[in-house]
Amino acid sequence: MINYISYRLLQLIPLLVAISIIVFVIIQLPPGDFLTNYIQQLKLSGNDVSESAILNLKQQYGLDQSMIMQYIYWIKDIVLHGNMGRSFQFNMPVADVIWPRLGLTVTISLISLVFVWLVAIPIGIYSATHQYSILDYVFTFIGFIGVAVPGFLIALVLVYFIFIETGVSVTGLFSQQYLDAPWSMARVLDMLPRMILPVIVIGMASAASLIRVTRGMLLDELSKQYVITARAKGVSEGKLLFKYPVRMAINPLISTIGWTLPALISGEVIVSIVLNLQTTGPMLLKALMTQDMYLCGSFILITSVITVLGTLLSDILLAAIDPRIRFGGVGE
Amino acid sequence: MKVKRRFLAAVLVTALILTAALTGCDSGSNSGSKSNTANNSKNDANKPATTDTTNNASTNDAATNDASTNNTTNNTTTDKPADGQISEFHQSSYFDGKNLPDVKDRLPADYKITNEMNEDQLKYEVGTYGGTLRTVTSVANWDADVFVMDNEPLLNTPSILGEKITGNVLKDYLLSDDQKSISFQMRQGLKWSDGVPVTTEDVRFTVEDVLNNPELTPIFPLYLRSGGVAEGAPMKLEVIDDYNFKLTFDRPYGGLLIRLAIQGWRGYTELLKPAHYLKQFHKKYTPLADMEPAIKAAGFKKGEWVNLFNYKDITNWKLNHSEAVGFPVLYPWMVTKATKSVTTYERNPYYFKVDTAGNQLPYIDKIESTLVNDIEMVSLKTIAGEVDFSRESAALVKMPLYKENEKNGYKALLNNMHVTPTDLFLNLTYDNPNWQKVVQDVRFRKALNMAINRQELIDTIYYGFAQPGSIEDPTFDLDEAGKLLDDMGLKKDANGKRLGPDGKVFTIPFEVGAQAPDIVPYTQLIAEMWRALGLNVTMKTIDQTLWGTRLAANDIQATVIWTHTPLWYMGDWGQANWAPVWDQWHSSSGKNGKEPPEDVKKFYAKIDEAMAAKPDDAKRLIEEVKQMMKDNVYYFIPLSDVKQPLIVSDKLHNIPADSSFAIATDFSGEQFFFGK
Repeated sequence: MINYISYRLLQLIPLLVAISIIVFVIIQLPPGDFLTNYIQQLKLSGNDVSESAILNLKQQYGLDQSMIMQYIYWIKDIVLHGNMGRSFQFNMPVADVIWPRLGLTVTISLISLVFVWLVAIPIGIYSATHQYSILDYVFTFIGFIGVAVPGFLIALVLVYFIFIETGVSVTGLFSQQYLDAPWSMARVLDMLPRMILPVIVIGMASAASLIRVTRGMLLDELSKQYVITARAKGVSEGKLLFKYPVRMAINPLISTIGWTLPALISGEVIVSIVLNLQTTGPMLLKALMTQDMYLCGSFILITSVITVLGTLLSDILLAAIDPRIRFGGVGE
Repeated sequence: MKVKRRFLAAVLVTALILTAALTGCDSGSNSGSKSNTANNSKNDANKPATTDTTNNASTNDAATNDASTNNTTNNTTTDKPADGQISEFHQSSYFDGKNLPDVKDRLPADYKITNEMNEDQLKYEVGTYGGTLRTVTSVANWDADVFVMDNEPLLNTPSILGEKITGNVLKDYLLSDDQKSISFQMRQGLKWSDGVPVTTEDVRFTVEDVLNNPELTPIFPLYLRSGGVAEGAPMKLEVIDDYNFKLTFDRPYGGLLIRLAIQGWRGYTELLKPAHYLKQFHKKYTPLADMEPAIKAAGFKKGEWVNLFNYKDITNWKLNHSEAVGFPVLYPWMVTKATKSVTTYERNPYYFKVDTAGNQLPYIDKIESTLVNDIEMVSLKTIAGEVDFSRESAALVKMPLYKENEKNGYKALLNNMHVTPTDLFLNLTYDNPNWQKVVQDVRFRKALNMAINRQELIDTIYYGFAQPGSIEDPTFDLDEAGKLLDDMGLKKDANGKRLGPDGKVFTIPFEVGAQAPDIVPYTQLIAEMWRALGLNVTMKTIDQTLWGTRLAANDIQATVIWTHTPLWYMGDWGQANWAPVWDQWHSSSGKNGKEPPEDVKKFYAKIDEAMAAKPDDAKRLIEEVKQMMKDNVYYFIPLSDVKQPLIVSDKLHNIPADSSFAIATDFSGEQFFFGK
């Protein structure tokens, strides 16, 4: 087992190097760089930025170096100093931009995840046990809508209706006075009601699909021999249901936890933009659009590392459960 | 258990049905908001408008005027006290208990009395102190509304019209008769926001140690060369005493005055930097070894003092930046706190303007600029009444939305716009002989100009809030246009398509970036109009950055973007857009690019002459430039006088009338105040 894990860990190193190179190259592919963007922005606003200033900025941002040198500087700083470079847009270290947003993103994603499970599993179970009942049809119908309608659209509609009805623009996670305040009880209380909308919107689509998955899995289980046997032996319906079939039915949830990790930190990009959440998704999008390369490079790198680690985690879990996998890779 | 489950189910069903119902209703609002996403930059800050100068500058020629004359010329109340006659000064209670010197000692002896707007544009009221102005931006480290409000030029042109040029940060100027030197007088007792006096030492430092230091300024700014042209020698500075200095040139350059006043939003930082602060980052004054810790802290490599200096030197276009905190300024408000979501500006205790009652400006204590993810969020916050001032992100297409929600505490005004809505460019120097042969023929451009139905553009895209442009002939005559093309020998094929000299269908491929919401529909309409002549016109929308890169590389054949051309006499005439290669030749004095034909050279020479001339001569010269433009139609300026929405809180006073420019209103922000 130890061998297997260390073998997998060693595999990670070339993988991460490859990822970081690909990320960096892809970000640099579009024409121009952050500076051309920035200068264009200033010029369209009527500013006359002198050529000297542009040259100086190029030098200041290190954009006068070749792409290879820029990559080497960036990766060297990460490895040796844990410094991910500077965000051009915000003009501050990348870490200072990413970490606070990451905290909020994880919070929202976790709450959404819990919300999804709390809603979807009971409904899934109900639908499966009451197959072809009226409520099952209703849930099925709603479930398909939830899967089909994109989250940002639901967000837009909700924001629109809440504004029309109340005149309040329900956007952002904090009201103005708490936007940059240090964490306090008051700030948390300010945030909680504002979390409801994003949590519902973000949770909606996955809840709908989860309902379908749970229902399908459970239906499979319910028709199996052991259920029929148990029922024949007079086990009560409730116990019969929860003792085995439900545990089997929610298995997919547990085996996909590995994939959930990167999703937790990348957040729902479009929904966050529509709702103006200070999460990582919009930050990444904007960074890509303005070619703020160290910011997007570092963020994508972090996501990649977490994805890789998540996969490793599920592999280890699987290996722990299933000996065939353990021996497959190494041949002990 | 069962009961609980049923209850839970029922609640969920209700919630979900509700959502599903809501989802059905709203394709309208969604598509509406989407069509506006590209709005960001058009309504931008910028180049001030207009017409030309009158005789003001020449009155200044006569003798060094007493600044009081200068300052009071445009004041709205008739009986304004001259400088030095205000006996008592007042300050905002914001400064109470902050341990500052008395307000009288903080103000310069040569304080400036606002306001410099024409009376028909603003009925000035003496205001009251206090309040926080809320603005919203969707770009990190940049808020054009606050930028325009805060920026202070060295000289001023009231209402941004260019008609007069008065002192601003500098008290006054005197242009010599031969226009080869300009003497400037500074305000005695003017202080940086940290209380240190502003003197000619700051000017000397800026010119000698920054502008003339090739490490810090690798390319000497074109506009500071004599005559504002590449072959002109760099200006020379002569320091006379603590408050007087002189710039001299080897050829006439009265046009520098208007450039310092408004062109390109030049702030005072171009010639005036806080020497006492910046010397600590300059190698000439501080040993490199002493700077190393600061260089390291700013994240640069050992010995990179140039990078450190440029990072610490907050030029005017960086005034919104987070690193501007603590930098000595002369603006009404200075950045005091900048986070990733809010930038806070607080009033400058040493600001040099007062109102007629002796109240130190600005009236408003604080500005809070919030960063949102998306331009649409700006609109939502605006209509919810969470924004006190918004010009940059306001778009004409959203006017009905703004009007509908005015009950939420703001007013949506419709002011004049300082740029043309959109001009059409054919690249006369695009590298293709067949294309050049056609587009360089003036008959072709005249024909296309004649095929533009201006009224249709105005009605369809600008809801009637625009006028046909006056620089070029606005006649719409398809038959005549068709004849011109026939004359040129552009024959039609069997399908009615015009063939180029190479015998293939002649195509005009528009490539546009969606910098403003009107650009795409505008181009579509133009394409339809030109297709009526038998031309094959295509359109492609590309990313704005790609657009900029391709344009600079002479890769775009036809495009659409706004300019300041017809409004403002020192406008840029879009040279870089209609003939990039000739423009390179011109701006490098013939070193790069290709030599243009005679008529274009004359056109360039006339523009140069106008730009270098003192304002009243420039006015006459620019009429000649316009005539050349009319004769040659180098590019198309179909419309002018478009309107710009301006959102202001309904509590704000001293907002100029609708007839003024939206940007001029923005520029006079220090006189806004919140009414009770």
